Amino acid sequence: MATRLVTPETDGSVGAGDRFRLSPLTRRRWENFKANKRGYWSLWIISSMVVLSMFAEFIANDAPLVMGYKDELYFPVLFEYPETEFGGVFETEAEYLEPFVQDLIKDGDGWWVFPPIEFSFETIDLYTEGAVPEAPSMRHLLGTDDIGRDVAARIIYGFRLSVLFGLALTFFSSLIGIAVGATQGYFGGGIDLFGQRLVEVWAGLPQLFLIIILSSLIEPNPVALLLLLLLFNWMSLVAVVRAECLRTRNFDYVRAARALGESDSVIMRKHLLPNAMVATLTYLPFLLSGSIVTLTSLDFLGFGLPAGYPSLGELLAQGKANMQAPWLGLAGFFTLAVMLTLFVFVGEGVRDAFDPRRATR
Amino acid sequence: MSDRILDVNDLAVAFGGEEVVRGVSFHIDRGESLALVGESGSGKSVTALSVMQLLPYPQATHPRGSVQVDGKEVIGADEDEMLKIRGDRVGMVFQEPMTSLNPLHHIEKQIGEILFVHRAMDRDAARARALELLNLVGLQRAEERLRAYPHELSGGQRQRVMIAMALANEPDLLIADEPTTALDVTVQAQILALLDDLKRQLNMSLLLITHDLGIVRKMADRICVMTDGQLVEQGPATQIFSAPRHTYTKHLLAAEPKGEATPSDPNAPVVMRAKDVSVHFNLAKGMFARRRVLKAVDEVSVTIRAGHTLGIVGESGSGKTTLALAMLRLIKSTGGIELEGQEIQGLKSKAIRPMRERMQIVFQDPYGSLSPRLSVDQIIGAGLRVHRPELSILQRREIVAEALREVGIDPAMQDRYPHEFSGGQRQRIAIARAIVLQPNLIVLDEPTSSLDMSVQAQIVDLLRDLQRRHSIAYVFISHDLKVVRALADEIIVMKDGVIVEQGAAKEVFTTPKTPYTRALMSAAFDIEVVDA
Repeated sequence: MATRLVTPETDGSVGAGDRFRLSPLTRRRWENFKANKRGYWSLWIISSMVVLSMFAEFIANDAPLVMGYKDELYFPVLFEYPETEFGGVFETEAEYLEPFVQDLIKDGDGWWVFPPIEFSFETIDLYTEGAVPEAPSMRHLLGTDDIGRDVAARIIYGFRLSVLFGLALTFFSSLIGIAVGATQGYFGGGIDLFGQRLVEVWAGLPQLFLIIILSSLIEPNPVALLLLLLLFNWMSLVAVVRAECLRTRNFDYVRAARALGESDSVIMRKHLLPNAMVATLTYLPFLLSGSIVTLTSLDFLGFGLPAGYPSLGELLAQGKANMQAPWLGLAGFFTLAVMLTLFVFVGEGVRDAFDPRRATR
Repeated sequence: MSDRILDVNDLAVAFGGEEVVRGVSFHIDRGESLALVGESGSGKSVTALSVMQLLPYPQATHPRGSVQVDGKEVIGADEDEMLKIRGDRVGMVFQEPMTSLNPLHHIEKQIGEILFVHRAMDRDAARARALELLNLVGLQRAEERLRAYPHELSGGQRQRVMIAMALANEPDLLIADEPTTALDVTVQAQILALLDDLKRQLNMSLLLITHDLGIVRKMADRICVMTDGQLVEQGPATQIFSAPRHTYTKHLLAAEPKGEATPSDPNAPVVMRAKDVSVHFNLAKGMFARRRVLKAVDEVSVTIRAGHTLGIVGESGSGKTTLALAMLRLIKSTGGIELEGQEIQGLKSKAIRPMRERMQIVFQDPYGSLSPRLSVDQIIGAGLRVHRPELSILQRREIVAEALREVGIDPAMQDRYPHEFSGGQRQRIAIARAIVLQPNLIVLDEPTSSLDMSVQAQIVDLLRDLQRRHSIAYVFISHDLKVVRALADEIIVMKDGVIVEQGAAKEVFTTPKTPYTRALMSAAFDIEVVDA
């Protein structure tokens, strides 16, 4: 209510003299977002988790971060060194966890510094005492899975893969969705009618079955899976963007742009999409969490990423198969729960910040 | 029962520490009409709302002052007491009849609700009373319309329903906040006559809030002039109009658009000729529905010469804007349209694009016609970027600056955003956007309707000045005949999509031929109801 009584003049003076040239509206939204403590902190936590996970190789790896051998420095994290480099027999990359290799290095006055977790996501710990899956211990903080891989390492890599995959899927599906929605909304009429029917039919297809069938036909790899999911994921933004463009296209300033002779694509880019951006941005965090869930469920069912990739869904599936090892299921569950909850909190914050009715908190 | 129905004393209203109304005092006696006059942002509506205690508290506060309704203090009164005053002792009619009725309830229910609350009537009694009220406010076929929903009524009818609701409990004071601003002139005259009549019949007091001095002259016994949150002058209506004392009042009185169009050469070259232009919308779609066609514009022919102004007048829904949009080929139409001798009807939109620099448009609402995300330079420069892509950035900026100078805006503000400008300045920017391409024809679609009176006069002067200098042809669309009279050489009067009268402006204004034009004229200039 109160916002309506603020005259545009007084509203504008706030932003005047601002060096960053953030529009006052954007600034107010950012202030609103910051005022939402839960969303703001979630954003910080999830971003630092994402940034940290980008350096997963330096946190969990079976190669030392840095190593000295015969007065020379080696960086096994970054470069591959064959075992022969250290006087071994194999020409393949050295297995730094093997006692034999460690002895070789020690013989050359060597020393090494391992990352906090001495295993990569695919390292099978052959030197542990217990039977797999092994319960949490000092060696494996979250235990191992049923073929002896460190669960903590797999979670770190799996988190990164999930987030990256989710981001890529979100990015590309928004790209397609926005383009389709804007075209439908701006031109309206027959194009809109046809587009809407197409989307409805397409959305009516049994997605999961199709993905399962298709993924059994092609060799699954992340890119193929991304394209496959993209086939069915692009529709989520169409409705929002279309509605926004239908509303905006009759605005006077859009009419004025047409009267000036600006081309359709310029009008769409300059006048329609900025308006649709608000709705899109509000949707993005939810789209992202949705994408992650899709990937995880496919992995859980065994139709997702091929074996060998660190995947949270696969961890959950292992947890289901090994009920006697609850750390598997619990670790997977809590990772997903924390990740998705944080994304949803951020999404809520963004949504509220963009909501004009919540302008005065 | 005292004679003083409303007594406002040193009232102040603040929003978040900033005072928007500062020390306003006035009073209304029983049976008296008081007009609160001022431009937008002067605090007149806020003053009226504080009488009802309807401001968004607690953001709004009253640092000082008192408001007494019939001797009872309302500032600081608790909600229970206010509920007894609102809708019972004091009724209120709002500006926008489209949004002040609940679209989900029929009329009977909305009027009945007030009667349930204040009079505890039963259903039958409330129905009878609602019918009585609707008859009182002159709603025709009231009995059938009890069950009508707001969207089934026209703007004027809705405003009548609003008045009926406000009158339901025979209030002592009726507050009317710009009750006719959203209505057509002929409807406006009817509503004002109704208010005046009801006031006399029910011995009610009226607090009328308006920016339209014509209405004030017609309706008010006494006048309060407000500007910038202060009451600068009050007194009997006759005295204010004949001998205004405060400079602002004088300024306000002098601000009405005056003058007539300067005579222009009748043999000037034809800029645009439209022949039998029709715009039809199919209402019912689908395979089995009967085709129903709305003839928004039906076989209209007009000719516009260089340096001339063609005024298109008519009430809302008469097809004025549709015709103009069709002439610029912004919507689909049939019939012939020639731009400077060249037929443009039937050309592909790509083929028209280069011709658009010769015909431009200025819209009614300067808040909606400028994209809030672009700077003034980008807004005005957009057309140059399309039609003169060879210009360097600096050259373009220079041309934009020149256009700004021409409409009276400091080019130093070139990089500001629209929200930093007032309504009048925005309209100037919209005009600059139109003239920067040096068009031969500009369509002005109600360019002054959403502006304050004094700003209207400035915009009219600016337009006349630009026309004289560049001999641009104008198509000037307006329902405000005063503004049209100040600009137009020729006039067409439209009703229901067809031209009812056409001719030289002077003739149409002095000797209107058709009864519809006569009704329009008397409603606009004398605020009188004449049967069309």
